Amino acid sequence: MKKILSIALLLFCFQLSNSQTKIDRTKQPQAGPAPVISIKDPVIFKMSNGITVLVVENHKLPKVNAILTIDMGPTFEGDKIGEGTIMGQMLNEGTKTMDKETFDNKVEIMGADLSLYSTGGSVSALTRYFKPAFVLFADAIRNPAFPEASFEKLKSQTLVGLKSQEKSASAIAGRLVNALNYGKNTPLGEFETEQSINSITLADIKDTYKNYITPSRSYLTFTGDITPEEAKKIATETLGSWTGKALTLPVMPPGDKLAKTEIDIIDVPSAVQAQLFVTNLIENPMTNPDFFGILLANQILGGGSDGKLFQNLREKHGFTYGSYSNIGSGRFGTMVSSSAQVRNEKADSAVAEIIAELNNMRSGNFTQADLDLAKAKFNGSFAINMENPAIAATYASNILINNLPKDFYRTYLQKINAVTLGDIKNVAQKYISTGGARIIIVGNAEQIMPNLKRLNLPVKSFDAFGNPVTMDAAAPVKVDPNVTAEKVIANYIQAIGGKEVLDKINSSSANISVEMMGQKLGGTMKKMAPYSNAMEMSMNGMTVYKMAFDGTQGYQGQMGQKAAMTSDEIKDQKDEKGIFPQLFYSGTEFKLMMDGTAKVNGEDAYKIKVTKPSGKISTEYYSIKSGLLLKQVSTVTAQGKEMEQSAEFSDYQKVDGIMTPMSIKQTAGGQEIPMTLSDVKYNAGVTAEDFK
Amino acid sequence: MKKISFLVLLFLFQGSIYGQKVKFTEFNLPNGLHVVLHQDNTAPVVAVSVMYHVGSKNDSPGRTGFAHFFEHLLFEGTQNIGRGDYMKIVGKNGGQLNANTTQDRTFYYEVFPSNQLKLGLWMESERMMHPVINEIGVKTQNEVVKEEKRMRMDNQPYGNLINVVFNDLFTKHPYHNSVIGSMADLDASTLGEFKAYFAKFYVPNNAVLVVAGDIKPEETRKWIEDYFSDIPKGTPVVQGKFDETPITTQIIDTAYDANIQIPAILSAYRVPGRTSKESTALQLVAAVLSQGSSSRMYKKMVDEKKNAVAVQSFNYALEDYGAYLAFAIPNGNVPLNDLLKDMDEEIVKVQTDLISEDEFTKLRNQAENSYVTANDRMLGVAENLANGYTFYGNTNYINTELEQIKSVTREDIRNAAKKYLNPNQRVVLYYLPKK
Repeated sequence: MKKILSIALLLFCFQLSNSQTKIDRTKQPQAGPAPVISIKDPVIFKMSNGITVLVVENHKLPKVNAILTIDMGPTFEGDKIGEGTIMGQMLNEGTKTMDKETFDNKVEIMGADLSLYSTGGSVSALTRYFKPAFVLFADAIRNPAFPEASFEKLKSQTLVGLKSQEKSASAIAGRLVNALNYGKNTPLGEFETEQSINSITLADIKDTYKNYITPSRSYLTFTGDITPEEAKKIATETLGSWTGKALTLPVMPPGDKLAKTEIDIIDVPSAVQAQLFVTNLIENPMTNPDFFGILLANQILGGGSDGKLFQNLREKHGFTYGSYSNIGSGRFGTMVSSSAQVRNEKADSAVAEIIAELNNMRSGNFTQADLDLAKAKFNGSFAINMENPAIAATYASNILINNLPKDFYRTYLQKINAVTLGDIKNVAQKYISTGGARIIIVGNAEQIMPNLKRLNLPVKSFDAFGNPVTMDAAAPVKVDPNVTAEKVIANYIQAIGGKEVLDKINSSSANISVEMMGQKLGGTMKKMAPYSNAMEMSMNGMTVYKMAFDGTQGYQGQMGQKAAMTSDEIKDQKDEKGIFPQLFYSGTEFKLMMDGTAKVNGEDAYKIKVTKPSGKISTEYYSIKSGLLLKQVSTVTAQGKEMEQSAEFSDYQKVDGIMTPMSIKQTAGGQEIPMTLSDVKYNAGVTAEDFK
Repeated sequence: MKKISFLVLLFLFQGSIYGQKVKFTEFNLPNGLHVVLHQDNTAPVVAVSVMYHVGSKNDSPGRTGFAHFFEHLLFEGTQNIGRGDYMKIVGKNGGQLNANTTQDRTFYYEVFPSNQLKLGLWMESERMMHPVINEIGVKTQNEVVKEEKRMRMDNQPYGNLINVVFNDLFTKHPYHNSVIGSMADLDASTLGEFKAYFAKFYVPNNAVLVVAGDIKPEETRKWIEDYFSDIPKGTPVVQGKFDETPITTQIIDTAYDANIQIPAILSAYRVPGRTSKESTALQLVAAVLSQGSSSRMYKKMVDEKKNAVAVQSFNYALEDYGAYLAFAIPNGNVPLNDLLKDMDEEIVKVQTDLISEDEFTKLRNQAENSYVTANDRMLGVAENLANGYTFYGNTNYINTELEQIKSVTREDIRNAAKKYLNPNQRVVLYYLPKK
């Protein structure tokens, strides 16, 4: 009985306590008191050669990380722009006493990670291997071997990289936003080109190394399972005797602020999306009293998916997948930039909406809820960032480099949380300009220009390298109304040799060479009237690609795989009625349409739309001046997706009285394949066997 | 009494966090929810995570993609969290959230400043207890999943490669299907089917809640009891067993991808699941062949012969089986068969000769380095603890993993390669650009 009672009592108590703690799950729980964020000061000391060493001791994990940063500021490389980057890469190519293979082996046998670049480098390893790993790191930075072969390898990789980016709207935008704002002959505005890379010599690399890789203005940060004493010992033993040039921080000329808003347009005809940037130059050192207001203003305007830009351009208008803003800070000139990638035809509307949002910021058109949300983001991420042990070192070096008060980060959230709605409005008016903005649009000018006029802003055109284009892309040459598509084709036939000569040609053959990803491929291209067509590519004597069509059937083969042509592909083949397809355009199977004029690599051309017997349409560009075919664009359908393929023809030379393009640049799926022709023959060297 | 032992445990585990051992406490709620707490007060951060032992391998034939679909559906809202508010609440409170699905499990998490721990627990308990699963949510997420498939697979270079490999390598096991599943299956599914799938798999007794970071374990435990105890226990989940017949003749396949310009060659071998020692040995085979610029295949093919721009081998370890993959992309127009031959030669060498002592040291050091790095953030610790409980039946696996790797000998590495990596046991896939 007693037992039962006590159980009942227990149950009762249990229920009681249970009902006491019963939570109301319909209500979102309140936050606890904000966590106290304590930022540990790193131990800081200076070595006699100028290196400032920071040590953040953290024994949680048995690992140490070190980063060397040389505070050289933006450097001006001029004609040789790119030498700094390549010099940095060369530091990973072996040392005076170890070739690359030996060096890599030594690093990796310890399971360590090590890399060097133009402004320093980093190394991390398990505690027991940290010292030997750091010794290797110091050797790489102090005694690079600079082997010629590595230099040639890196240079050619850089060139291939530039080449693959040639038509990329985002790559062009990336360099021109800086080049147009700061000037392309300034440290902040200059960019790499094929010429600049080609002009770099190994001697330049060695000079750059001497000038910039030096203990002067260097910060060496150790984080992790290491004591300040151990760090000091390792740093002194390996880098204590290192000497080099004394660096001074360059003084940057401020960019030219615009007095009146203008649009700078860069034509990339192949772009399916336009890249938009609404920018203006500002100065915003971290010591700026407005610094925290600017951080929050940017968060409200375009810091993420809650930002005004995202909400307007994506959620409300569906112009884009995302739209964001960025307001820079630091010791050098910087900018406010609001950006989006949108369909070409919506570029004008998107610019108008971005400007409207910038004006909203300036007129204080935002709420306390907007500000509270922005503050919550900073409060949250500041706390979460504390998980990264290296953050203490980053903060400490920021304080040193930017000359900030010692308690800058300790009072960071306090300063964030003190910003008012009025402060935001003030900084928006002071730093965001809508009257003196530079609006940069990179995209298909032909599609963008017609609508752009309604913005009533001056428009300037630039090429992909920031050079002004004198003729306004908005007003291409006037089309002579008497010139018809048929006339353009007739002119072309005349220009390449005349109908009489061309009619006699039954076959053609040529050797081709292609450079892809630094590899040279050779091959042959053969044609026989009416439809036979064959192409073969080989590398090191081995056939890697073959296509042949004998007039009724054909196949394509690659890597030992062979696929018969489908009926659609055969139709495509039969669209070419002969060696010179244009001779047949006057037939009833073809339809021609004049579609105005356009520029091809700066040359004015007539644009002709040709509907082929298969129903496929190709757009052909014929030079107004020479009559020659400059470019051909056709659309192919692959996996339900339309893909554009284009070919550009240049370097026309006379072969047997026929003007023949010796250079053909094909572009498909964003990749460019430049082909060079040689040994072109007409009516020779071709047999029916070639098409089997 | 129970409470006292808990305090004792706390005392034992709380001590110093110095060193490599990841300390934790664990307990079950009466509804079967397994809870793991890891205290680390070094930063004011807490990760709240739930791992459900359900992945694409639990999808039924004709209804593929369900597990992954839930990863989206369970952000839609709950009885107490309005539609579309789930993510907003996390953002407004300074947190970050996400989820991911594999063949074997689904993992949901939030990372918050530590004063928002209660909020995180409430949100995960809401999701487990009564998410709103209705037509509008299903319809919305159906579109989002289709966009995801376009972005991650159909519009992504080499995006369908893994799906093709698993399709070929498994015939009986549901690993045959892709994680994202078939869009036709999702279109054909009814609301009732989604609700039934939830009721079957998203039950507390099929989940582990891991809270890691700046917490007070006692208070955390109380909050967990407050928010999770009322969730009813479900029928025990029994994981299916699917035995594959060994592959005895090489399977050759070709697939086409419209997003690539450069083809790829891949060979794939069916190997034992992640809990086996052989799986660990195969992980080391993969490392000796392609981890780092001093690895065998990388040095030979990328640095010396320069016939490949990329070469990678990888032991894709899953719960029931694994897939050992060797993959290369040619430099220029090098024939794919040349690359296959080069990769095969390296596998044969591992099968024939023991790897060198230096390589063996390197492997162990690399493994230790990546193990240490995997546990440097609270979210990583939470996931590793959850993995131990879910797959190894041992939460403490996190602390024995490295020992497991170090117990593998050079002979084990050779033997595993010999046993599983033979041409007659594999799939060879030519992955070619689509015109």
